Amino acid sequence: MKIQPLTENEKWLLSFYRTSEISGALFFGRLAKSLPPGPIQTDLTKHFADESQHSWYWTRCLQNLGHEPIKLDTAYQDQYISAAGMPANIMEVLGITLIFEKRVIGQYALHRQAQDLNPEVKSTLDLIVEDEKWHIEWVTQALKNMEGEYGKEHIEKTLKRFYDADKEVYQKTVKEHEERISGILKFKKT
Amino acid sequence: MLDSNKIKTRISQILGVPTEKVTDNAVLQELVIDSFILIDMVIDLQNTFNIRLNQEDLVPVKTVGDLISVMKSKV
Repeated sequence: MKIQPLTENEKWLLSFYRTSEISGALFFGRLAKSLPPGPIQTDLTKHFADESQHSWYWTRCLQNLGHEPIKLDTAYQDQYISAAGMPANIMEVLGITLIFEKRVIGQYALHRQAQDLNPEVKSTLDLIVEDEKWHIEWVTQALKNMEGEYGKEHIEKTLKRFYDADKEVYQKTVKEHEERISGILKFKKT
Repeated sequence: MLDSNKIKTRISQILGVPTEKVTDNAVLQELVIDSFILIDMVIDLQNTFNIRLNQEDLVPVKTVGDLISVMKSKV
């Protein structure tokens, strides 16, 4: 298989991932700082460390391929608040986190299937997806543990609201950057 | 009873803005560039003052004064 150098659009997409990981790290870091001691504080601190590490992985990946990351002003999740409203308590924050993490793992899995994927990009995606699986696991469990306090039905309704908002944000993002993404995410015929 | 000045002092600490800017009429979105910091602030205020807010509670909240009123209604 012939390894192609990164195109400008690929460079942009990897930089977009990097920016979103940085935004996630900053958000979880601040949140981990303001939460009282307990299992959520512990897992959120690890989650924050992972997101931070992921932004480093993308930086390293781009640099190993001879590029510098592009400085982008906005991240994917910046549109969440206007689409979904501001989460106000820890259950709602974890709810929006779960939906976002599922989106991330889905997007990385989609990218993983792209034709002629650069091996450096592939190994970075694989590395990050392993952590993302744990993110989904711990947040799902934390939400389950909150059922007694918030009510199962209320949590499910909250997740549905964030799921709808995420769908809207994702469709808007894909449409906005269609030209950049469509050339990269071409898939093998199965 | 929640003390408005204590809430404003905590908001000032979390957002890193001078206390004199945290007035009743100050618009929350104008105090910070990144809206995600407001989420951290709301979570912190609930832990600090031992109350619970929901997303619906924040829908009408625009200013510091609005937020304090909502918080006081939850005590």
